[in-house]
Amino acid sequence: MKLLNRKLVGLLLPFFAVSIVNADTHSETGNYKGDVPSLHEQAMEAGIVHQYDGPWEYFVGGGVSAFDCNQDRMPDLYFSGGDNAAGLYINESLPGGELRFNKDTTSALSIKNVIGSYPIDIDNDGYLDLAVLRVGENYLYKGGPNCEFTRANSRWNFSGGSHWSTAFSATFETDNDFPTLAIGNYVDRTAPGSPWGTCQDNELHRPNAIGETPDFSEPLPLSPGYCALSIVFTDWNKSGVDALRVTNDRHYYRGGQEQLWRLNSGRYPRLYSASEGWEPLVIWGMGIAEADLNADGYPEYALTSMGDTKLQILDLEQAIDENRPHYEDMAWTRGATAHRPYTGNDLKPSTGWHAQFEDINNDSHLDLFITKGNVERMTDFAQFDPDNLLMGSASGQFSEQGSAAGLALDTRGRGASVMDLNADGLLDVVVVNRADNVSVFRNQGMNSEHGPRQGGNWLKIELQQKGGNRHAVGSKLSIKTGNTVQSRVTRVGAGHASGSAGFIHVGLGVAERATVRVQWPDGEWSAPYKLFANHHVVIERDNDTVSQWFPTTTSLQTNSE
Amino acid sequence: MITTNVPTQLGLLLCCLLSTTLSASEDPWSEKAIKNSVNASDYQGTLERNQLLELIEAGNQLFSARFTTDDGVGRPMATQAIIPTKRKRPPRNEFSRTAGLDANACSSCHNVPIIGGAGDFSVNVFVSEGFQHSDFDTTDPQFSNERNTNHLFGSGVVELLAREMSVTLMQQRTQALADAKNQNKPVIQALNAKGVDFGSITAHPDGRIDTANISGVDNDLVIRPFSHKGVMTSLRQFTVNALNHHHGMQATERFGTRWTDTDDYDEDGIAQEISAGDVSALVAWQASLAPPLAQAPTDTRWLEAAKQGQQQFDSIGCADCHRTYLPLSDLAFSDPGPMDAAGTLRYGETPNTVYDLSLLAWAETLEKDTNGDYKIPLFGDLKRHVIADQQVAALGNELLSQRFVERNVFMTTELWGVGSTAPYGHRGDMTTLREVINAHGGDARDSRDAWKALPKDAQNNLIAWLKTLIIKL
Repeated sequence: MKLLNRKLVGLLLPFFAVSIVNADTHSETGNYKGDVPSLHEQAMEAGIVHQYDGPWEYFVGGGVSAFDCNQDRMPDLYFSGGDNAAGLYINESLPGGELRFNKDTTSALSIKNVIGSYPIDIDNDGYLDLAVLRVGENYLYKGGPNCEFTRANSRWNFSGGSHWSTAFSATFETDNDFPTLAIGNYVDRTAPGSPWGTCQDNELHRPNAIGETPDFSEPLPLSPGYCALSIVFTDWNKSGVDALRVTNDRHYYRGGQEQLWRLNSGRYPRLYSASEGWEPLVIWGMGIAEADLNADGYPEYALTSMGDTKLQILDLEQAIDENRPHYEDMAWTRGATAHRPYTGNDLKPSTGWHAQFEDINNDSHLDLFITKGNVERMTDFAQFDPDNLLMGSASGQFSEQGSAAGLALDTRGRGASVMDLNADGLLDVVVVNRADNVSVFRNQGMNSEHGPRQGGNWLKIELQQKGGNRHAVGSKLSIKTGNTVQSRVTRVGAGHASGSAGFIHVGLGVAERATVRVQWPDGEWSAPYKLFANHHVVIERDNDTVSQWFPTTTSLQTNSE
Repeated sequence: MITTNVPTQLGLLLCCLLSTTLSASEDPWSEKAIKNSVNASDYQGTLERNQLLELIEAGNQLFSARFTTDDGVGRPMATQAIIPTKRKRPPRNEFSRTAGLDANACSSCHNVPIIGGAGDFSVNVFVSEGFQHSDFDTTDPQFSNERNTNHLFGSGVVELLAREMSVTLMQQRTQALADAKNQNKPVIQALNAKGVDFGSITAHPDGRIDTANISGVDNDLVIRPFSHKGVMTSLRQFTVNALNHHHGMQATERFGTRWTDTDDYDEDGIAQEISAGDVSALVAWQASLAPPLAQAPTDTRWLEAAKQGQQQFDSIGCADCHRTYLPLSDLAFSDPGPMDAAGTLRYGETPNTVYDLSLLAWAETLEKDTNGDYKIPLFGDLKRHVIADQQVAALGNELLSQRFVERNVFMTTELWGVGSTAPYGHRGDMTTLREVINAHGGDARDSRDAWKALPKDAQNNLIAWLKTLIIKL
């Protein structure tokens, strides 16, 4: 059980001393000059009544998948339930209107013991499938039209095991049409001395490269496991080959640390070591967010923990010259530690979970959303621990604006998704709360004296390619506006037990146009696409022109709407 | 009612009133050209006539104001780009006839035959995106597109036409999407607004739109009626762009703290140089400029020649693009307008303001068609065309595309006022109408060849007619 003992508090004291001394500069302040979104919680009004709850095993997890399962390009939501049954909610929101969801009460996905889930098209049939993490056997569901899901463990020779699975990521390795799946596991509850020092190994499910259907019959252990709570395949060194980054919960491991696995396209995985530049880092790792904040092609990572969030940037000199994955933490200098509640009187450290970089005000600067929530009556940590909204700015600094945005609720957040639920170009926020109803925040626009107003310009981009990896997982996008370049990458994984699929969202600020290039998963670059702002577009590989997409129930679209 | 081409007694009165008011906050000898910013909150809703005239007059003063460094002239650390863009270092000379700053007042260039008009070759501007190579001291076309100054008369109704046409095209798109969904098959939809053909789209049942066959308009279906290239959405956007480009006067609505984190983006020591109200005043003034109408010559020989010339104009296909008129349903000009994007104040961001152009004297001179729509005789189609080809390439002389529009593609020039606004061509390097007609290639090649084939007298008649399209003094 994640109960902090005195020993750990002792370890923490020097760490927090620094943070608290300088805390005022990292509290929510009124000097942020950009747009702050008006986020209105409306889960009940939207028709979503769902709670993640349960005993010890469900103190962690609590994910939500945001993906389109009925082929209308509007994201539907699949909530983990823990001891409660998971719930699939179909998106019936009107474009630009209030959020509306309808629960699919007959869904095959309405099962118990679900920790989290991640959507991905495993069998390349064009329908998103779903990897479901559980306490007990994990399931792969084959997706079909109209949100039909069929359990496919047998069909795809996937062994779901019987572990306590808490993390997932997938990538398409070279020359394989089917994805490689990685599953992160938490505590081995059956081991002697459990839970202390009994972290379960993680798993790598590589598909058999031969055959018409996925075949995951030969999984590999990723050992040692250190109680992973989030994993992500990531191209940390711009090599075109993904490695697997793992964030681990120090609360239960012995001698553990954060991990980076080298995969090298089909070879047996091997951990980067200290001699190769991987500096041991020991945190209560709970969530990972990846973004290339400075558009240099090398991703930065936010790692949530108890206390300070880490914001890691690669030491380029070591990376380029010696291929060493050595990272520096810049959370403090960028104002992104988010180490304690930014409002209220509780000065104890925060507990961070899901993290996600997105541009929630469309100003062209990525923001960082973090869910927060006490594990379960951990008195050394903040009880009132609101979710964070760290607004990015041109200077690279982050500014906490959760309270101004309307996020500061007294809930215990876990998994989440920052996703445009009503196709208006504004990102909404969904949070799974432990032992409480989920929160669904509709982004009503940006706060102003005249009420919510539009934010910056935006683009939403869907990628498609034929053959394997239909949704082009692993693609990198370069979005150029004037002299500014932003980058995005499509990933399956990270966050906290929460996956998403669909349009890639980009804020454009005051740019009316953008030139977009796609580096497809095999490394080939597309021709530049010239795109007008405030549109959804579909880019199909090898097609010189893009399609626009409009919600078919839409009324007249103008920039004023 | 007043005309807005020349100051009237009421205009002078307002001018005096404004001066009296302004003197309260600025010393009479102040070197600031903007003595007092226009407060946008004083002008909300549909303006009464007096309010409208007051705002127009404020815009009139701003348009001719010779801005100074005390106002905020200069952008030592910002380029001319429409997206706020920093320089790496200040330019050696703030003023430069190439990259700008290149004017002291709007009216420094827009003054032929009167303020608000076009410009001589000597006041050409050099259009660069302002991102890379934003500083250049050469007219070499690899760095900029050299453009002659357009006149602004009738620009209010031009923007209104563009808005109505954009809405029509978007409605056609919406209808096509609905049809495709209902029929569960792709639907090809012709795009046509006010009789102008903009190609077609293919709508798919899943909500996708193929845009490959759209013609003459951006694929977002927003008609952008301003500039030779047809890439400026609104007078407001054009004004914000131009203030920065030509004067280094940065409007708060794009260069202010909301988008740039600073109220002095160009680092010239002056914060909040142009308020939203100031921009509104400039927009109101430009929108109020009277549409140039054909003036019947008193000379009977000219009159007869012009009549025949107009017939020739129609018969050889010039009017296919230079449409005699486009119908406009409403003269209510909302500011901000409905088609702008972030970076220009947008509809709904502030309490909206409407300038009812029907309150202006010139509105009574507009004819109406049988549908009750105003006949706007712009002699244009608000569509972009290829205007050069292999043999006739003079108007395809640019090297740089602009905002996704190819180098040899331009918006049909509205011919109203053409008799008052020589020189011609988008570079202003053609001194006669005959030269610029001869230079039409590309989509206009057939008409141009037909013109070339006309007898000399018929050509003269056509010129005679074009010379009646003047800006009334």
